[in-house]
Amino acid sequence: MDAFKAVFWSFFGVRKKAEYDKDAKQLTPQAVIAAGLVSAAVFVLVLFGIVKLVTR
Amino acid sequence: MSAATHAQDHGHHDDHAHHPTGLKRWLFTTNHKDIGTLYLWFSLTMFFMGGVMALLLRAELFQPGLQLINPEFFNSLTTVHGLVMVFGAIMPAWVGFANWLIPMQIGAADMAFPRMNNWSFWLVVPAAILLVASFFVPGGAAASGWTLYPPLIIQQGISIDMTILAVHILGASSIMGSINIITTILNLRAPGMTLMKMPLFVWTWLITAYLLIAVMPVLAGAVTMLLTDRHFGTSFFNAAGGGDPTMFMHIFWFFGHPEVYIMILPAFGVVSAIIPAFARKPLFGYASMVYATASIAILSFIVWGHHMFTVGMPAAGNLFFMYATMLIAVPTGVKIFNWIATMWQGSMTFETPMLFSIGFICLFTIGGFSGLVLAITPVDITLHNTYYVVAHFHYVLVSGALFTLFAGAYFWIPKFTGKMYNESLGKLHFWLSVIGFNIAFFPQHFLGLAGMPRRIPDYALQFAEWNMWSTIGAFIFGFSQLLFLYNMIECIRSNRKAADNPWEGADTLEWTHLPSPAPYHSFETAPVVK
Ligand code: HEM
Ligand SMILES: [Cu+2]
Repeated sequence: MDAFKAVFWSFFGVRKKAEYDKDAKQLTPQAVIAAGLVSAAVFVLVLFGIVKLVTR
Repeated sequence: MSAATHAQDHGHHDDHAHHPTGLKRWLFTTNHKDIGTLYLWFSLTMFFMGGVMALLLRAELFQPGLQLINPEFFNSLTTVHGLVMVFGAIMPAWVGFANWLIPMQIGAADMAFPRMNNWSFWLVVPAAILLVASFFVPGGAAASGWTLYPPLIIQQGISIDMTILAVHILGASSIMGSINIITTILNLRAPGMTLMKMPLFVWTWLITAYLLIAVMPVLAGAVTMLLTDRHFGTSFFNAAGGGDPTMFMHIFWFFGHPEVYIMILPAFGVVSAIIPAFARKPLFGYASMVYATASIAILSFIVWGHHMFTVGMPAAGNLFFMYATMLIAVPTGVKIFNWIATMWQGSMTFETPMLFSIGFICLFTIGGFSGLVLAITPVDITLHNTYYVVAHFHYVLVSGALFTLFAGAYFWIPKFTGKMYNESLGKLHFWLSVIGFNIAFFPQHFLGLAGMPRRIPDYALQFAEWNMWSTIGAFIFGFSQLLFLYNMIECIRSNRKAADNPWEGADTLEWTHLPSPAPYHSFETAPVVK
């Protein structure tokens, strides 16, 4: 879950220092990469959903 | 494991070796600094060749009508100028910096695969020769634009095959280079150099290398299909045979958009090294920068359709690519804010590397904004294939990638050579470049908005005024680059000794742990990073 949070903030591009320090301690690269790929897929699907909605 | 042994063997080997001198030194070198130097000189050479082509183009466009060159040659020049600048100048220059800096910045003795490193470099030379030689074969060099779209590309002569072969070779070289860089970064870091302590240049190159491995094979596949369409009777892109030319565009841009980030991410790394050094403050939001770079890399795979808004994708497709493209600008914008926040209340000085970095921030932002304008589908439908697009990508590539390359060259030349460049000449180079660049490219926004198509040798009379200015600017810009060449050569030959760390604020390993010039073999025993 924390990995997803980190990825979400990275899409935006900002992260609090304290939160980052927590990430750096707790997260493994594997978790972040997995969360990143899943989030990218979710991102695509959400966008696609919005597109479907407005072109209806 | 095998990487580590390899590197050890190598270090051991060279301890005894009295390395060859003269031509042989360069031909057989496995030293990351030598190979970095080769890449940098190679790319500077290609930069000047591509520059001559650009000035020929601009000279023809100085006035309406055809004066200097015939239209076929004009088309060849646009094509090869683009290919030479992208694949011959900017990409190899970044690989050159990677070779020099990555081992020093992570405290490694050399790259992980030194022999493959040599091969990566020497492959790009024949590719460049193929590209340039293609001007002299019957039919002239490729005239399709650097995007190599069929069906035009199917019709031309042997020069297309030479171009395709060159692209294949360059792709192989890039992939080998990337494998080398990734392995080096992941396996050869000094004790204590955790991933999140790496300088941003190392991070941005790590991510760039993954992008290269992901997309160079895609480009290779695309040009291979062109080759078989040309010679072996396939119809991948031929509608008459059941194929589809727009499929080429999809494949090409699936490579092409990540490719533009391949050219700009290392630039982000360089700016992230230079701004803190001259603001004498640590980089604002280091972790955010790493995360944002990774996000940009992932998202760069889902926006390629913004190059194809006019080919008739369904509305849903156009909308998807429009939204995705606009969203990818968010992490990019955040980076700009981070650099500005780094400068905020810093004690800044404005030596040449800093000037080029600040020039980068200002002008790259303009390019980002014109990108956003083009990302709006209905707007792009009128602006696509106009000079507005040309203005956009020169703002991101020249004042983006090229300016940062200059910034990096001025910043690290004291470490590379142990000598100091001429500061006032550097500043002159900067100001002439900025002024010439803006005179050359800002009016192209107006030309594009007024409807002037790109890639044409002649144009309607109402475009004459701004084209004249654009050509004047281009010549100012082009000739001021000779100052850079002169400054570098003069620096190398001079005896102005540079201090081990001439920049007060620079704090990466190459400045703090190594003398200037950096010794031929550095960090044979790894430093311990706290
Ligand atoms: C804010 C980020 C960016 C956005 C929103 C953006 C958007 C676009 C769009 C929509 C086009 C297509 C225009 C057309 O052909 O009608 C385009 C073209 C182009 N962009 Fe960007 N761009 C961005 C950043 C960059 C960067 C960073 C680079 C390179 C370092 C770049 C290089 C190019 C190139 C080379 C082309 C033209 C390709 C061609 O047709 O020959 N762009 N951009
Ligand atoms: Cu793009």
